Amino acid sequence: MRRREFVARTCAGLVALTPGLPRVPVFGRAAPWLLVPMDDGQSDHLKAYGLAFRLLERGGKAEWFLNYRGGAFLLPADGATRRDAALAGITTEPLDDGRLVEVRGEIQNGNMDAVPLEKAPKVAVYAPPNAAPWDDAVTMALNYAGIKFEKIWDPEVVGQGLRSFDWLHLHHEDFTGQYSKFFLNYAGAPWLMEMVQQNRAMARSLGYPSVPAEKRAVAQAISQFVERGGFLFAMCTATETLDLALAADGVDIAAAYADGSPMDANATAAMRWERSLAFQDAHLELSPTMPVYSDIDGHQVNSPDRRQPLGSFTLFNFSAKIDPVATMLVQNHRQVIPDFYGLTTSYTRRRLKPKVTILAEETGAPWVKYIHGERGQGTWTFFGGHDPEDPQHQIGDAPTDLSLHPHSPGYRLILNNVLFPAAKKKELKT
Amino acid sequence: MSLSRLVKVSGVLLALSAAPRVLAAQGATLPHAFELERRGDYQGAVEAYRGVLSRNPSEVSALLGLERVLLPLNRSVEILPDLRAALKASPSNAALYGVALRAWGAADQPDSMRAVAERWARIAPGDEAPYREWGSAALATRHRDGALEAYRLGRERLGRDDVLAAEMAQLSITDGDYATAAREWLPAVRRLPGYRVTAVATLGHAPATKRSEILRILSAETDFTARRLESELRVRWGDPLGGLAALESALPTGRAQSLDALRGLVEQLRMQRSHDALLAQGRALEAIAARLSGSQAARTRLEAAQAYSSAGDREAARRMLAGLADDRSAPGAVSSGAASALLSVLIGEGKLTEAAGRLRELRPQLSGEEHAALSRALATAYVRQGELDRADSVLGGDSTIEGFALAGRIRLYRGDLNGAVESFKEAGPYAGERAEATRRTMLLALLQPIEADTLRSLGAALLQLEQGDTAQALAELQSVAADLPPAKGGAELRLLTGRLAAAKGDRELAERLYREAASREAPATAPAAELALAELMLADRRGADAVKQLEHLILTYPESALVPQARRTLDLARGAVPET
Repeated sequence: MRRREFVARTCAGLVALTPGLPRVPVFGRAAPWLLVPMDDGQSDHLKAYGLAFRLLERGGKAEWFLNYRGGAFLLPADGATRRDAALAGITTEPLDDGRLVEVRGEIQNGNMDAVPLEKAPKVAVYAPPNAAPWDDAVTMALNYAGIKFEKIWDPEVVGQGLRSFDWLHLHHEDFTGQYSKFFLNYAGAPWLMEMVQQNRAMARSLGYPSVPAEKRAVAQAISQFVERGGFLFAMCTATETLDLALAADGVDIAAAYADGSPMDANATAAMRWERSLAFQDAHLELSPTMPVYSDIDGHQVNSPDRRQPLGSFTLFNFSAKIDPVATMLVQNHRQVIPDFYGLTTSYTRRRLKPKVTILAEETGAPWVKYIHGERGQGTWTFFGGHDPEDPQHQIGDAPTDLSLHPHSPGYRLILNNVLFPAAKKKELKT
Repeated sequence: MSLSRLVKVSGVLLALSAAPRVLAAQGATLPHAFELERRGDYQGAVEAYRGVLSRNPSEVSALLGLERVLLPLNRSVEILPDLRAALKASPSNAALYGVALRAWGAADQPDSMRAVAERWARIAPGDEAPYREWGSAALATRHRDGALEAYRLGRERLGRDDVLAAEMAQLSITDGDYATAAREWLPAVRRLPGYRVTAVATLGHAPATKRSEILRILSAETDFTARRLESELRVRWGDPLGGLAALESALPTGRAQSLDALRGLVEQLRMQRSHDALLAQGRALEAIAARLSGSQAARTRLEAAQAYSSAGDREAARRMLAGLADDRSAPGAVSSGAASALLSVLIGEGKLTEAAGRLRELRPQLSGEEHAALSRALATAYVRQGELDRADSVLGGDSTIEGFALAGRIRLYRGDLNGAVESFKEAGPYAGERAEATRRTMLLALLQPIEADTLRSLGAALLQLEQGDTAQALAELQSVAADLPPAKGGAELRLLTGRLAAAKGDRELAERLYREAASREAPATAPAAELALAELMLADRRGADAVKQLEHLILTYPESALVPQARRTLDLARGAVPET
């Protein structure tokens, strides 16, 4: 059964069932349900995702009320959930059966839907072993929300380790194997030397002739993970370089410092875009000193002549009942969100494949911010930029403290992605 | 239509469609080209600049514009035909050669770069520019050896050691060869003193292992330039007294030059707050004051005194202030500043009687505010000596909020709890330094639940604390707390005592006191005690215990104002947020 069909059928079933979740035995006058509002009445939007996730981990069931009060959650009012919410400072509202029927009626009559959350996905974050926990927006969001995850890196990915995970996150990894193209501009910097040494050692130990060759193998393993039904969420430069690595099968797109041979002068023409997930027909950046990969990125933050200023991006409205997947990914209490830079900040419209779903765009600009698509049995979501609460992020900046941004709409988009797989019943096909 | 006819017609159509643009470019003016460039229409600007060059091939502004707009288009090399035409039209125009060097550099043609530089050098003999631009163009394309060749050739041809010395120095810095860089910077700075700032900035980044060699190279030279470089580098590397000594050993006899050097050093020292930096600052300012006269000298002596005082050298501070406070000819601000500084020195030395006498003498010179501030400083010093009557007498009827705050403390130390509470309330929560205001608020919270109006033992214990005898204060505070019920000040006092024990490093005692303070009978104090207990556990790396304690706090006292802070600490304990 295809995903959309599955979700549509499940949602139709839910509307018919009132209430749809196992009811908590009621002692005294306590309400059996907790509504977790996700509009401006919520005191900690980000931790609310963790509350739902932990409930699923305990074997409980929840519902996600798409487009209702900012994407509210319905949870059973059991003791553990109440305690968890109180400790985390999450706003909850007790809901009795009568009020729940009213809420369901409201959902049925509007552009809203109720999606069951059934199983906590097994989450993996792709990061080198020594990566600082505070240099990746997703790791920070997961830590803050209290969502368990495992870190994996190249040996696990090429060694079939992805088969035990449902959800994979990539951040600022350079899958072209060029060390984010910082090799020449930051020559001598200790962090760069460590990165180079670590990657070269890893490529050698896995039996690849160079880092670009090894990273391409990793990119292909990730693509296969999606094909098999995995959920991929990538941010920043991982999005662009993953697709470049996939499309560069047999084409040398890496500078001489990375693999000993200069980039193929005809690389742009030789790319095989049928292999990539999201992008096509991009022009590659030929200069090895310019920390820019291609014209996929609309903002070109590291190109003094092409760098574009930051604006804000707008989330699309989708039909919750017809397109619940896209609706889940854009649940938010804000529709317009300030933009933020990353090595890859945005995606030029003319480089998107026709089947890509645009989730957020900068109105009037030739680029979009947040995109989604399918490959085989799985899905991928790309979100441009590095850190939604550090718009000008520079190397060495202090880490973002999310307790100062508990309502961050940008971070909410990340957490929508983490919870989105919980809405699906099927197991990964292996 | 036959194929050949179709081709011909298409050719005519293409030519017609391109014609307006070509014609427009040919008629382009320089302002139009600039405008297109400003708007980001680089392709249009290329054509416009070429239009200008077609009429005047050696128009430098157009050529430079063309160079600028070709760069973002990644087509820098395309300037070469225009350049050849320009050089043909105006072979002696030096400005064209710089563009030519960059263009050949972009084309990665080192032989052509060299040829252009040689040609330029022939028309400008004795000029460093051809070699400097050649080297710069080579560096722009990361040809370090090409740049070195250019600089060496320039030095050889011009026959002087200081030729292109700054460029050689910077090249050595990029190689990590700081010793050579130091040797090159010396002639460069001697020739052009403005290079000194860059020399210090670049050499200043030398790793610790290379610094002694740099200092040895500089100290081997005897001139003032070398001394000044050495001095500034020593200060930068954390040896301010050594830096001052290096400068003083070669100060020129000319007043203006020596003042400039000393002032430069003081500016550098002002960025450091270490004892040695403050002492060096005082000495440099004293040296400056000796070279000045009148009000400038007085102001500088005062600054020197303040620096000495901050460094703890009270003798030197007094030497600077001697006479300054009584000097009727000194400007008013200097005189009162000197008086304040002198009194601070006396108070710091514990010479309170002398300070009180000076304060009486200086009364006519000081404004009301200044006198009140100095009186409070003196009263505080009396309090610390345990002379509460004298403190009261000096404070007098000070009706400022800082005065009320101090009066409250004096009453508290006498054991007059009611009087202390009244004074603290009059002072309000904001008077004085932030730390002082926080302490006052804490004392108010401590006193309010206590039912007794007077409690001499508590006053005496807190006075011991003020006087720095924490060990004795701890023992006495525990004894007082033992006699008070938790809800009537006992819990609050145990919390305070626990904090003192923790600060003193007695964590076991602190934990016991916090647990006693976290009594259900004192719900206003218990959350703070639980939070303090959790923080103590975290500091002891007992994360699991801390998490349990914080969860207890949040779930037991959900309405407490400390719950947000407890949640934040819980996040820290769980590693959910970075430590800041």
